[in-house]
Amino acid sequence: MPQVKIVAKNFMDMVASLPAMKLDKLYQNAFICQAILRSMPPLAKRYVLQLLFIDAPVTGKMLEESVLADGLSKHKVAIDRLVQLRVLTEALDRKKEATYRMNPTFQMNVQKLIVHGGVLPREPMPSTAGFRLPSLEELDAYAVQQWECFLLHLISSSEAEKATTNISSSMMKVFQRGLLSQKDDKEPPRLTEGGFQFLLMDTNAQLWYIIREYIGNSEERGLDSADLVSFLLELSFHATGEAYNINTLSDIQRAIIRDLADLGLVKLQQGRKESWFIPTKLATNLSISLSDTSSRKQGYVVVETNFRMYAYSSSKLHCEILRLFARVEYQLPNLIVGAITKESLYKAFQNGITAEQIISFLQQNAHPRVAERIPTVPENVTDQIRLWESDLNRVECIPAHFFEEFPSREVFEAACDHARECGGFLWENSKKMWLVVKAESFAYMKEFLRGKKQ
Amino acid sequence: MADKQQQVVVKRARHKSSVKDPGTPGVLKLTKDRFTFMPNDPSSPVKHNVEFRTIKGHKFTKDGTKQALLNLTQDQGGNYIFEFENFPDRNVCKDFVASAIALSGEAGRTVPEKPAVPIQDEQLSAAEMERRIKLLQEDSDLQKLHKQFVIGGILSEAEFWATRKKLLEQNYSRRPKQRVALKNDMWSTKPLADGQSNRVTFNLTPEIILQIFAEKPAVRQAYLNFVPNKMTEKEFWTKYSRAEYLHSTKNVIAAAAEAAEDEELAVFLKQDDMLVNEARKKIRQVDPTLDMEADEGDDYMHLPDHGLPRNDNKDVLDSQYEPYRRSFSQHLNQHAAVVLQGRVIDVELGDTRSVAEALARTKHAELAKDASDVYLDKERLERISRMTEIEDLQAPRDPAVAPLSIKDPRDYFDSQQANAFSTLGDTVSGAKQLKCSVSTREAYCSLKECISEIKFQGLTEPTINSEVAFKVLNGLAQNISSNKYHLGRNPNESVLDSLPKITREELLLHWSSIQELLKHFWSSYPITTKYLLTKATKLKDAMSQIYPKLQEIKESVQSDLRHQVSLLVQPMLQALDAAFAHYDADVQNRLARSGERPNGF
Amino acid sequence: MSPPVPSKILTDDVSLLMVLIDTNPHFWSSIKPHFSFSKFLSHVLAFLNSILLLNQLNQVVVIATGINACGYVFDSSSGSVSQRAESLLPKLEEFAENDESLSERDDDSGNGVGSSLLSGSLSMALCYIQRVFRSGPLHPQPRILCLHGSPDGPGQYVAIMNSIFSAQRSMVPIDSCVVGIQHSAFLQQASYITGGVYLKPQQLDGLFQYLATVFATDLHSRNFLRLPKPVGVDFRASCFCHKNTIDMGFICSVCLSIFCKHQKKCSTCGSTFGQAKTHDPSASQQR
Repeated sequence: MPQVKIVAKNFMDMVASLPAMKLDKLYQNAFICQAILRSMPPLAKRYVLQLLFIDAPVTGKMLEESVLADGLSKHKVAIDRLVQLRVLTEALDRKKEATYRMNPTFQMNVQKLIVHGGVLPREPMPSTAGFRLPSLEELDAYAVQQWECFLLHLISSSEAEKATTNISSSMMKVFQRGLLSQKDDKEPPRLTEGGFQFLLMDTNAQLWYIIREYIGNSEERGLDSADLVSFLLELSFHATGEAYNINTLSDIQRAIIRDLADLGLVKLQQGRKESWFIPTKLATNLSISLSDTSSRKQGYVVVETNFRMYAYSSSKLHCEILRLFARVEYQLPNLIVGAITKESLYKAFQNGITAEQIISFLQQNAHPRVAERIPTVPENVTDQIRLWESDLNRVECIPAHFFEEFPSREVFEAACDHARECGGFLWENSKKMWLVVKAESFAYMKEFLRGKKQ
Repeated sequence: MADKQQQVVVKRARHKSSVKDPGTPGVLKLTKDRFTFMPNDPSSPVKHNVEFRTIKGHKFTKDGTKQALLNLTQDQGGNYIFEFENFPDRNVCKDFVASAIALSGEAGRTVPEKPAVPIQDEQLSAAEMERRIKLLQEDSDLQKLHKQFVIGGILSEAEFWATRKKLLEQNYSRRPKQRVALKNDMWSTKPLADGQSNRVTFNLTPEIILQIFAEKPAVRQAYLNFVPNKMTEKEFWTKYSRAEYLHSTKNVIAAAAEAAEDEELAVFLKQDDMLVNEARKKIRQVDPTLDMEADEGDDYMHLPDHGLPRNDNKDVLDSQYEPYRRSFSQHLNQHAAVVLQGRVIDVELGDTRSVAEALARTKHAELAKDASDVYLDKERLERISRMTEIEDLQAPRDPAVAPLSIKDPRDYFDSQQANAFSTLGDTVSGAKQLKCSVSTREAYCSLKECISEIKFQGLTEPTINSEVAFKVLNGLAQNISSNKYHLGRNPNESVLDSLPKITREELLLHWSSIQELLKHFWSSYPITTKYLLTKATKLKDAMSQIYPKLQEIKESVQSDLRHQVSLLVQPMLQALDAAFAHYDADVQNRLARSGERPNGF
Repeated sequence: MSPPVPSKILTDDVSLLMVLIDTNPHFWSSIKPHFSFSKFLSHVLAFLNSILLLNQLNQVVVIATGINACGYVFDSSSGSVSQRAESLLPKLEEFAENDESLSERDDDSGNGVGSSLLSGSLSMALCYIQRVFRSGPLHPQPRILCLHGSPDGPGQYVAIMNSIFSAQRSMVPIDSCVVGIQHSAFLQQASYITGGVYLKPQQLDGLFQYLATVFATDLHSRNFLRLPKPVGVDFRASCFCHKNTIDMGFICSVCLSIFCKHQKKCSTCGSTFGQAKTHDPSASQQR
């Protein structure tokens, strides 16, 4: 049985946590099989490939044979993942050994993919259709703009006011659930802890978070989550930059497409007669496997040992994100210069951002030149960030009650023992016969002492 | 080193007090740490019992000369001369002594010795000896070989090292000779003034003169110009001292006045033009991104009296005296630069003129080196482009490369079994080799047919039969698991690691000794002298002794490893066989030819 | 400045697979009764498709190795849409055509299979990889897979050894899958020196399974996997004079060139050897 509990970290984890029935239904779509396969850890991919054409059950021992001792944990994770995803089914053979068999639907679909390739349910627009397609750069710029606009809106609602006009307010509400809190309508909404943490995530994690919210929300709107998932995955296999006819979509899908357009996953384009949608990179990246730590991307931040921070970016968003935990001192056309100070960090901590999140953000977004170094962020800086955080936690306030003037030492000691028993004991001074207990166990203590009196 | 050292060499020899001395006949006995000489006549006073520790060198006469002499030199200068009955006897003793001295040196004693006058080519300086000893100590494998062959008497010390000259040289060249640097205390001309008379005395030693020349190019130039044409050396230094004295009084006005009167004195009093030029050049070479003005903020110089003598109070002087002012820090900097540069010339200090000339020459050469402006500009530009990018953000110039792994032959050791393996395979495949009976045209046609076939029909489906796939997977898993037990747990482990430790070490030892022997064996061909002949024979005998040992190893291992070991041993045996065959053929040749030429050479 | 979804997101297992396909027509017609070229292609293309399927950033480049020429026939990164391996077929046909036209001059067929230009295609693969290395700090992990069947061409010994060392130096493993009848000493050495896998499948009709099980393994996973290891490697060299594979030979003491017979003068570095006929014939099977 699988031992690893799935924490819904990304889109694929969410797929894996779908009930078995829905999962089997999903596997009937070859694209979903492909997306699932790509999301797997390398070793799991390897096992799928090895067993792809084998109908007979294969013993786990045979698979394990080629794994070195230090890879055994990875092997376990891979097998568990495959079993969770119901790609492999586990059984015990006569000798009580675990054997594995591949899910026939999944197997057949992957075989087909390899031999024939996948066929999309709709053809891209022929190049003769009459209007100019945006170039890939334009499309990227569009996606960037939409996405940043959304994020900026989160950071400060006022700033993004004019940009928000093209995001439907109902959608915004969905996306903002859990990220913003609004006490009443007059006050501007504030970012929650989750919201701050969200901003520091990398883009794919953010995307997945949003999509997860979107899917989680779908049931309320009467959509089947499996349908939604399969449509999103299918979308991710559309070619970037090609236009597809919106008429090929069902009504529900059309509604989804409009929502996604607000986020920059697709660009809508009105043709002469028909309307088209053009998937952007954001959409096609939905199915990229992202194993947790090994992802690398082009970063832009350099942190020096003197706590100064240089960010090679012109993005306003980047600037705002850095402002979450650092003091931005000046901004040049392509450079943001800032400093990590105690004050700026305290502000971040108050907003619920943890030291680890800041550090991992700095590490993940390190400029490629410093990213090659070890450590990417100077140790004295990371240590100091952690120290400042632990500074805040040095004093812990617990509401408590103070007892004194016990009638006798016996009663005092009995009271101490009782306090310990019920877990409310905090402090005692046996010389002066003082006792401090937690507020919640005050009632027990009172009762106990009353009993003693009698 | 223990067991072989118990070896004892006993030879008849005569002890001689000098080369001319007829000598006392007796028996020379050599053990690892001492040699004893017992005269045949027990009443003779000539008895020796000397530790090799005290022997620092040995000399001997050339093979074939009149006497077979061995001369052992002692620390204190005494020496022991032995004459042997024949050269082979002497050579045995000589080699033994050589290694014995080496070993006693190894015991931690260093022998300081000036190279003795060589009477022979095999004269070893102590330094040479030390190098060898050090090499032996550092490399246990080398030590093993040395022990086995040199002390075992198969190779002579000289032969052993002859193939390792490079090793010795490398070791030697690593240590450059240290040069004596300049004194780094400044020669501040402290005049010795006696209170009464108005005389001031300066003390100039050759060392100080060198320093003055190095630090003050103008003085050097002046010396070369004036002495001895215009004035004598003494006059020159008097003038210089006068100038120094004027400086030391810090009386700029007086200095200017005197300079106006005396043209030569002015040279010393004015600022050094050459230095100024040099400084300008240096500033141009400073890293262009270095902002030297920024340093001005560092307020060291403005602190009140930073321990340096200052003459701020005279700042108000007219500019006409400007050239006569000299700052202490300038002096200090110049001195530091010279000291850092070290002693650049190698001239006897006594002769002032040659010192000056030598210094001028080196300076000149230096200037010429970076004088070409084109070169300078280019370098400057390059540096600017390199520096303007922040170092942190510079891309690595080239993709990383792994060091070329031309591996230690040892790594190939276990893979050699493939030789035997593949020759086996070759015969099989040779029989099975498919004859290509079709013409090139047909071949290409069928190739293209195949391509178009798959182009139109698409890939076969399913690509692979489930049973076949299972069989293959199973086979691979078995292959891997069987390798795991045969070749050790780690894929990087080799066959060697699976062998018992003793067998492994023995194999490796034999392998390296065979290598050594073969090297010497082949290099003694073609045989042109009798010496080479005996050497080859000796080596061949030594090799034939190893041969049965290899067989023994093969048989001693457990049956499951025997096959592997025999695969490992096979190439060694092959190499030995080849050597033997060559030896036999050569002997045959020699015999056949010996009829034609009387001595076989 | 940088887009929200960076242009390159690379996980450790993203690979650039350079596949060298042996298209020696003599070899394929000699082996046709057992395993035709179309069967081979069908297995290999399925394998390439599956590599592309595993990760959308995986890149596959195919180089055809003919008798007279070698050439790139497929590069999955060339189009905007990720291509499928079948698209190499027209180019492969073109390549065979070209290869044939080059060979027509000397048509001495019938004797032996002849070797294909492995040294050429290895060099091309290495050039491509160098270009990828220089493209920036983020690039897929390259490796070379030789699908080879023709016998070794001793004449290419020096060129191939140079390619091998260059691959080793740039840390590119060379995997070899030998589909011919004989073992290939060149490829054994190549895989051994560069740390790749050498395998000679026993069952050719299961080729896909071999490829998928062994050669699909990315470099990252190889750190904790145990892959098949050959029993031994044939380290014999070819002599420079007649290009024969030799067990024992003569080595120039100056430049280490290898000769099977004694020479008066080293053909590589021009040093003249001593008077006697047996100059320095070292026993040279070690490497």
